[in-house]
Amino acid sequence: MERALDGVEIVELEPIEGEGLIFIEGFPDVGLVGAIATSFLVDRLGMKEVGYIDVEALPPIISIRDGSVKELIRIYRKDRLIAIVSDLPLPAAMVKSFSQRLMDWIQSKRPELFISLTGIPEPNRLNIDKPKVFILGSSKEVVERALEHEGAEPFKDGFIAGVKGMLLRESVRRGVNMLVILAQAHFNYPDPGSAAEVVKFLSRILDIDLDVKPLLESAEELKLRLRDLMRRTSHVMQGIQKSKELELPPVYL
Amino acid sequence: MSERRSLWRILLEEFRRIEEELSRIEEDFLRRLKETETMRGCITPLYNLYESGDEIILTADMPGSNKDEIDLRASEDHLRIEAPCRSPLRKVMHGKYMLHIKLPAKIEPSSVKARYKDGVLEVIARKKLPGVRVKIE
Repeated sequence: MERALDGVEIVELEPIEGEGLIFIEGFPDVGLVGAIATSFLVDRLGMKEVGYIDVEALPPIISIRDGSVKELIRIYRKDRLIAIVSDLPLPAAMVKSFSQRLMDWIQSKRPELFISLTGIPEPNRLNIDKPKVFILGSSKEVVERALEHEGAEPFKDGFIAGVKGMLLRESVRRGVNMLVILAQAHFNYPDPGSAAEVVKFLSRILDIDLDVKPLLESAEELKLRLRDLMRRTSHVMQGIQKSKELELPPVYL
Repeated sequence: MSERRSLWRILLEEFRRIEEELSRIEEDFLRRLKETETMRGCITPLYNLYESGDEIILTADMPGSNKDEIDLRASEDHLRIEAPCRSPLRKVMHGKYMLHIKLPAKIEPSSVKARYKDGVLEVIARKKLPGVRVKIE
């Protein structure tokens, strides 16, 4: 059990150890793309719940699934893959300290790669049938290795707000190999179509067989069920200036 | 120095108080929304409203509906949408979507165009522009 003074406690129900671990996170944000993609991965691979993250600043809520009590932020594992899934968005005020704490823990596991899944807001999404996938890495080498796989292009200019941005910043500072996979998505509507594109690219990176057909077939049902999480996530996204991702960084020359 | 520190602490406490108040207002809004939806069997879709040049654009996320069943009505300053909402997998009725919006500017109701794609309804209306065109010399 890892304890810290910042109100974030990472609990391993069984020791999370091993060589060449690959961590994947999908905290809710733009179009819930990361959350949908990570949950799909956990479900399809039959990953086992091996831990959770307790955050003091989250409301005192537990999740109940099929009569079982679930933590809000859960850690799953199958072989070398470790996935982190959250049922609530992180409060804006604690994004920085949470990201540092999570990265302390991930770094201590000496991972081969840390992958963050997310959406990039695309105002024209309604006219796009196949969302583009972009990648960002903590180093040139990470991006080049990912680009050896078909189906993504490098993310060149822009802003990344919130927990994904902070995790990427921490990974650069600490020299942890991190890859962010982003797909064009509706800003504040759940976007399973975008999540499917992320899953397709992720399956190439991980060299696993993942059929996204079930995800696409249940897309409308998912959109209905995720409406409340999207509404709450939208409020949080306002607090972290997520709309900044629609802008380009200033250029002075 | 200590005066500056205490001023800083007062400011931080004030920020925290404002944050808590905003969070309380948001929670209250979400609770009322869910209670109303449950009581009336009406679902308020997630939606966005934009003004772009001389157009007003509304998009609403309404999965589980059908374009032929969407009842869209437009007046000069309101849009009203009503549509059944079915679970796409089980074909079970969840209730109905209901959205009634006051527009930020007057529109030409006859100009309104709409389409329904991938569960999202998009409505585009031309603003009613007052005045006459002036020639630039």
